[in-house]
Amino acid sequence: MLATVVKLIARRLLAAVPILLVVSALLFCVLRLLPVDPAAMSLPPTATIAQIEAKRREMGLDRPLPEQYAMWLKAALHGDFGRSIQFGRQAGGLVAASLPATIELAAAAMILAAILGFGGGLLLFHLRGTLFESIADLGSILLLSIPEFLWGLILLFVFGVVLHALPFTGEVSPNLPQPDITGFILLDSLLVGRFDVFLSACRHLILPAFALGLAFSPTIMRVLRSSLFDIYHEDYIQQARLRGLSETQILLRHALKNAILPTLTLAGVQFGILFSGTLLVEVIYSYPGMGNLMVDAVRNADLPLIQAIALTYCIVVLIINTLVDALHIVLNPKLRTH
Amino acid sequence: MAGPLTRSLHSPRVLVALGMVLCVAFCAAFAGLVAPHDPSEQNLLSILTPPLWDAGADPHFLLGTDSLGRDVLSRLIFGARTAMIVAFAASTGAMVIGSILAHVSGYFGGVADWIIGRLVDIWMSFPPVILSLILMVGLGVGLDRVILAIVLVDWTRFCRVLRSEVMVVTRHDYVAAARLLGFTHWQTILREIVPATAPLLITLFSLEMAIAIVVEAILSFVGLGVGPDQVAWGQMIADARQNVYQSPWDLLLPILAIVFTVAAFNLLGDGLRRALDVRLAEAGH
Repeated sequence: MLATVVKLIARRLLAAVPILLVVSALLFCVLRLLPVDPAAMSLPPTATIAQIEAKRREMGLDRPLPEQYAMWLKAALHGDFGRSIQFGRQAGGLVAASLPATIELAAAAMILAAILGFGGGLLLFHLRGTLFESIADLGSILLLSIPEFLWGLILLFVFGVVLHALPFTGEVSPNLPQPDITGFILLDSLLVGRFDVFLSACRHLILPAFALGLAFSPTIMRVLRSSLFDIYHEDYIQQARLRGLSETQILLRHALKNAILPTLTLAGVQFGILFSGTLLVEVIYSYPGMGNLMVDAVRNADLPLIQAIALTYCIVVLIINTLVDALHIVLNPKLRTH
Repeated sequence: MAGPLTRSLHSPRVLVALGMVLCVAFCAAFAGLVAPHDPSEQNLLSILTPPLWDAGADPHFLLGTDSLGRDVLSRLIFGARTAMIVAFAASTGAMVIGSILAHVSGYFGGVADWIIGRLVDIWMSFPPVILSLILMVGLGVGLDRVILAIVLVDWTRFCRVLRSEVMVVTRHDYVAAARLLGFTHWQTILREIVPATAPLLITLFSLEMAIAIVVEAILSFVGLGVGPDQVAWGQMIADARQNVYQSPWDLLLPILAIVFTVAAFNLLGDGLRRALDVRLAEAGH
């Protein structure tokens, strides 16, 4: 089984290479269409035309587009994504510094989405045939209609502004030190033994993680319910009932096991979308992750940084999708023979 | 087509959703008549007044005013116009491109299918939010740019789901019969396949309207949307965030407007899916 999984991952990652090449080329072209001149932007406003021209030559902007792309690609393969125009630092370094916060937020949100989704799905299924069925169903559609950035604002308003219950800006309280070993604040604060920092980071994580989790749970909810519906039409459920198993035993031992597969596949797809959903939530909560950096870069037309961040999002989503496929094979014996 | 569509009108879910959609559409179409004020008229003497049900309200402004003294109700109504124009135009564009490619891909198969399939793969490896942000950077702000960006991002939703439906329909005997009768490929697609895939198309269109409204709100919220000369719900939210302590309703009302409209289209899509018995994976939208 391990060999199959490794082969699958290798094959998927190999297939991802041409996709990433095309994606990066497309990105490059779209960003070059911009009516902004990176050379002029990286010089002080007092620069002369001659200086700007020199800078253009230095940055390779006077060459044809394919050649520019080849230069960028060669540098990128060596880990050099160019200098951020607004920060004057390596774009790759800026992305690497902000990625851990985004990963922590996405992971926490995914766990919440899974818990809420599974719980809600079981509840929806439990209510089938009762008076509450259509109310719960309408409720789930209403939940489905609240995207993560609106949840972010609603939670910020209720728990931050009205109730003053939770902090809603940044990653930790500003008066606390931020240990930096791995970049993951939850991990680092434990590594240096600062539980106050850890607790503060957790409290800061609650609202953004819930905003994302609440937005992505209804889909999981609805898929779990509909796959449970399908499975309860199967003969083996009837058989189990005839053997005298209780409804709870049927659900836990037979139905749930089979309903989990399609739900998990979907949860994986959702995780890819959720990861990019962190962008707006980070903006709303001033969370120092990649999304905040992206919006900053976009507002300032910081091309090298936009390029590096967008590519990172694509790579992370590709990795997530590959891992989900691998997990699928581990869990579903039927797929292993192929 | 008349049969299943009329049948779907008997579903209470579809009727309620249709009522909600028409309500927003009415405000959008007749914004100039419905709105009590000019949405960009500033009354600097009465800024941040609360809505009518709160103490200290100015009866002149039913839902209060924002930080520049602009009437919130009128801005909500004109925001509905922006949202509906963007959603309708963008969904139509995405539907046309996506479904043409899906029909070509699913009907002809072979090389065309391979190329379109890879194109969809590449497109979908971009997270939608990121792709639309980058496109807006490239295109610049404006109503037409937002529409174009959404079309360019979301055609894949139609293409991917419709393609498999077209493949199923193409295998039916009546399609082969049409070919035997001497129909050309395009006649076959237009007369035999499109009517069979139309229920799915209509359902997807309704769900796409919901998505487009959210995307427009997101883009306007980060300041890369329809531009400062247009009224948009996302922009109202971004403005109201600055004054959330003084006038919370300025923040809550546009949020409610978005949720109401998006829920209406989701409900409509869900109701149509049930009534038209469309095979549509939950994950498909």
